[in-house]
Amino acid sequence: MNTLSGPLAEVSYYEPWWIQIIKAIVIFAVILQVQPIIIVGERKGLGRFQGRYGPNRVGPFGLATPLADIIKLATKEQFRPDSSIGWMFALAPVISCVTAIGAIAIIPFGDTQDIFGTPVGLYGIDVSIGPLFVFAMGAVAFYGIMLGGFSSGSKYSFLGSMRAAAQLISYEVSQGLALVGVVMTAQTLSLTEIVHAQQGMWYIVPQFAGFLIFLTASFAETNRAPFDLVEADAELVGGYFTEYGGTRFTAYLFAEYINMCVVSLICVTVFLGGWLLPFGIHPPGWVDPFIVLGKAGLFIFFFIWVRATLPRLRYDQLMSFGWKILLPLATLNTLVTAIIIVATD
Amino acid sequence: MAEVLFFITAIGAITGAVGVIAVRNPFYSVLALVCHLISLAMLFLLLRSEFVAAAQVIVYAGAVMVLYVFVVSYVGGSDEPISANTGRGFKLASVAFALALFVELSIAILGTGLQAVSSQGAPYVAGFGSPAEIGKLLLTDYLLPFEVASFLLLIAAVGAVTLARRRGGLETPEELSRLSVLDITRPKITGTMAEGVGGARRLEAPAPEEVV
Repeated sequence: MNTLSGPLAEVSYYEPWWIQIIKAIVIFAVILQVQPIIIVGERKGLGRFQGRYGPNRVGPFGLATPLADIIKLATKEQFRPDSSIGWMFALAPVISCVTAIGAIAIIPFGDTQDIFGTPVGLYGIDVSIGPLFVFAMGAVAFYGIMLGGFSSGSKYSFLGSMRAAAQLISYEVSQGLALVGVVMTAQTLSLTEIVHAQQGMWYIVPQFAGFLIFLTASFAETNRAPFDLVEADAELVGGYFTEYGGTRFTAYLFAEYINMCVVSLICVTVFLGGWLLPFGIHPPGWVDPFIVLGKAGLFIFFFIWVRATLPRLRYDQLMSFGWKILLPLATLNTLVTAIIIVATD
Repeated sequence: MAEVLFFITAIGAITGAVGVIAVRNPFYSVLALVCHLISLAMLFLLLRSEFVAAAQVIVYAGAVMVLYVFVVSYVGGSDEPISANTGRGFKLASVAFALALFVELSIAILGTGLQAVSSQGAPYVAGFGSPAEIGKLLLTDYLLPFEVASFLLLIAAVGAVTLARRRGGLETPEELSRLSVLDITRPKITGTMAEGVGGARRLEAPAPEEVV
């Protein structure tokens, strides 16, 4: 990279433009192909948890179910209510999708590798602001949900998006504060450097409280059960996407599963040592992405497990839990971490 | 590339800013402000201050504007556009304030900004705009403004809590005593629906026996 010149040469993540484009396509393609696996895994997993078989008709062991799902959704009619606002109704799922995919850009799948003599980082970009990038994307993603619910012109959609507004703001704070402990311990915001700093010990050990808080807040941020009040089907029909159908509905579904992936990958990067393996095992560099995806798979399984296990919270329970328990705990975690760092420094 | 991005985001910022005051529907007005703020964040990115850009999006687009959207879509009444019929004195005052602001901005721009137009601009120093650098500045050179600003936010938060608590909850002794069974059965860590509608006041209310 030292051969580069020009105004961006001193910025650390700058690589030739064609490498950037190839990396972006490869990362997007891989994450896109993971989604059907998650969907079939979730449906079969939920089935087993509930003492039934789950989908087993399409393809061997029902593995082609997501394919049939996608064909079904894509060939459905695009409809919208008379009372909806057309352009906003079409734009909202796009915002959700774009921000969810955008957040993947900073996930490190491996260290910088030498591929045919060109050093390539196995990540989209390594930004100096690290997790803040994900939070910024999450902040914009909110408008996808909010506008979708508002523009539908339906009461259920509107209530769903109102719940989303309150819930996302409340839990974003705890989620961010839970990461502050890690950032203070690693002394950096860059995600690759956070992984490097976990060489001796994964942060899940010294930052166990932060890990639990982050994981809990993540359930609320991704609208997954037991915090899925935004789309609580028993109360709100379908929440903010009640009026959506066909590919637009698919876009929302896609964004939700991508978000689950992003949160799992962030958790792996920040608390489970990213591509590092315990007991001093150092596999060759091309194994790194598989390690990261494998660890993320554990979290995704955990998400599915929790969805099958816990009942949905009541709305006021959600709020009081977020503000009265999670937020003070996250603040305490930050405070104690800071004191320990200063005392041992 | 940077020039193209600059013009796209600059057009976005100006369009958003004009949209805020030009659009009659309050909901669209708020959305235009969001568009403006995100464009500003992109301009910050072009100036290589990634942290400021992220803070702009997280704090303004992600928190402040979310509340605006929340309130406007709840009570804004998008069917009733903002009325343009205001008093004559109000109009005069607004023109006077706009003129004052215009003169002030003109002085600021003419005094400093235009010097950099024909030159290369300020050189890029490694580490400029990074979170570490900004944190250092906030805790050394700008400690007092930083603390004053955080104190202001604290006052706002306390004020909001005070205002919110004035809402009426469950009042009569019958209503209050009806909840006593729930209090025993529910886990201590969870809230109640009564608290959600301001029922926390019943802690201050006298016990039912004393009233009767």
